[in-house]
Amino acid sequence: MKKFHKILGLGLAAGLLCTLAALPARAQSEASAALSLLPVASVVGTASVASAAAGAVVAVPAALSVGGAVLSVRAVEASAVGTVYLLERASDGAQVSVEVVGRGVAGSAYAVGTVVACSVIGTGVVLSVAGEAIAFVPNAIGRALLHNERL
Amino acid sequence: MAVQHIIPAHVRVRSFNPAMLALALMAGAALLATPQAHAGRSCEAAKPVPAKVIERGMQLAQQTSAALDAEHAKSGAQVVVLGRAGQDLSKYGLRYSHLGWAYKTPEGPWRVAHKLNECGTAVGHLYRQGLGEFFLDDLWRYEAVYAVPTPEVQQRLLAVLQDKGRVKALQHPPYSMVSYAWGRKYQQSNQWALETLAAAMEPATVRTRDQAQAWLQFKGYEPTTLKLGPLTRMGGRVGSANIAFDDHPNDKRFSDRIETVTVDSMLAWLQRAQLASAPVVLVLR
Repeated sequence: MKKFHKILGLGLAAGLLCTLAALPARAQSEASAALSLLPVASVVGTASVASAAAGAVVAVPAALSVGGAVLSVRAVEASAVGTVYLLERASDGAQVSVEVVGRGVAGSAYAVGTVVACSVIGTGVVLSVAGEAIAFVPNAIGRALLHNERL
Repeated sequence: MAVQHIIPAHVRVRSFNPAMLALALMAGAALLATPQAHAGRSCEAAKPVPAKVIERGMQLAQQTSAALDAEHAKSGAQVVVLGRAGQDLSKYGLRYSHLGWAYKTPEGPWRVAHKLNECGTAVGHLYRQGLGEFFLDDLWRYEAVYAVPTPEVQQRLLAVLQDKGRVKALQHPPYSMVSYAWGRKYQQSNQWALETLAAAMEPATVRTRDQAQAWLQFKGYEPTTLKLGPLTRMGGRVGSANIAFDDHPNDKRFSDRIETVTVDSMLAWLQRAQLASAPVVLVLR
C-alpha cells in the first residue's frame, strides 16, 4: 500500500489528475434487461511511465496503451467516491491507478491479484475482468463522443 | 478530477416504446402466470456489462460520427434524424426502436437531443448526449440509421435544438412506450421528436401538442399500427409502469390496433413528404 500511495502522490504532483475522465456506459437501454452501469473511472496517475508525462494527459497512459495486454490488480483502496485500483502490466511492470466511481460491476471491489484485460479501441481503452467491463478510459476521440446533459 | 458524472448510478434510463415491448409483455405474461415473477423486469438489478458492448457501442459511435462529418463536408448537413436498433422488433415489422435529432455543434462533435424513460417509472425526460452515450447500450443490432432533412428543415430544427426553452416546449413527461400517436395523455420518445419537428416548422401556429398533431396529420404522417391483443395488452399493463393503453380510443384498442410513433414510420414519412432524404444505414464494420 505504501507504493500505492506514492504512485497516487506522484500523479497528483505531476498534475496528472486526468482529464482522462472515463466513462460509464449508462443504460438508456430499451432492451434494458441487459444493461447496467459501467462504473465511471478515471486515471489518477501513472507510475513507471510518469516521467514521460507532464502535460501528457491527453493520451491514454502507457500502461494501458497495448491492446491485449494483461494487467493485474496490485492494490485496492476505497476512495471517497469509489474504488482506486493500482494496475500493473504483466509484461513490463508498467503501472497505472484507475479510480472507479461507484460500485464495481459485480457490486464489490476486485481483489488484489485479479487479472484485468486491456482492450484498445479507436476511442480509448476498455478494462475488463473475465470479459466484463470494469471501466472505459476514453482518449481524445472518445471524449469528443461523450456528453450527457439533462435538458 | 474531471470525472464525468453523467447520470447518478441508481438511475437507469430507457427509451422508446415497442422497443421494450416484447420484453415487457413477456414479463407481464409471466407475471400473470407465475406469482413469483415480478414487474419491472427490464430494469432489474445491474448485470455485468460485457466488454464487447462497450467496444462495439463506441465503435459504432465513432463510425457514425465520421459518416456524419463526411455528410457535413459534402452537403453542409448540420442536423440529421438518427436512429438505433435497441431490440428485435421484426415481429412488428420494424427495424429500429428509437431516434433523436443529432446536430453538429460549433465545437465539432455531434450531439443528440432525445427523450429517455427512467427505468421503472412512468415519465420521460429530455437529454442531450454524445453519440457515445446514444450507442452505449446493449443494442440488438449494431446499426445506425440517419436521414438528412432538407436545408430549410435543418435550419428550423437547429434553431430549436440550440434553444433549451424551445427544445422542451412540447415535452410532456407522462410516458407510455406505446402512447397513442394522436393522444395527449402520454408521450413516448419518438413522438416527442416528431411533434418537435412540427413546432420547429410552424413556430407561429404550432405551440401545443394538439396543434403539432394536427400539422402532422395535415402533412400525411401515418403512425405504425401494432397488432396487440387483449392478453398482450393486459400483460404489458400489469408488468410495467411505462406501458399503458388507456389513451387509445376504444374502437381501436378493442380491435387490437395500437397506433404509435415509430422510427420506421417517421423515416418513411419524412422521405414521402419530401422533408428529408432517403434513410442511410450504417452497419458496424
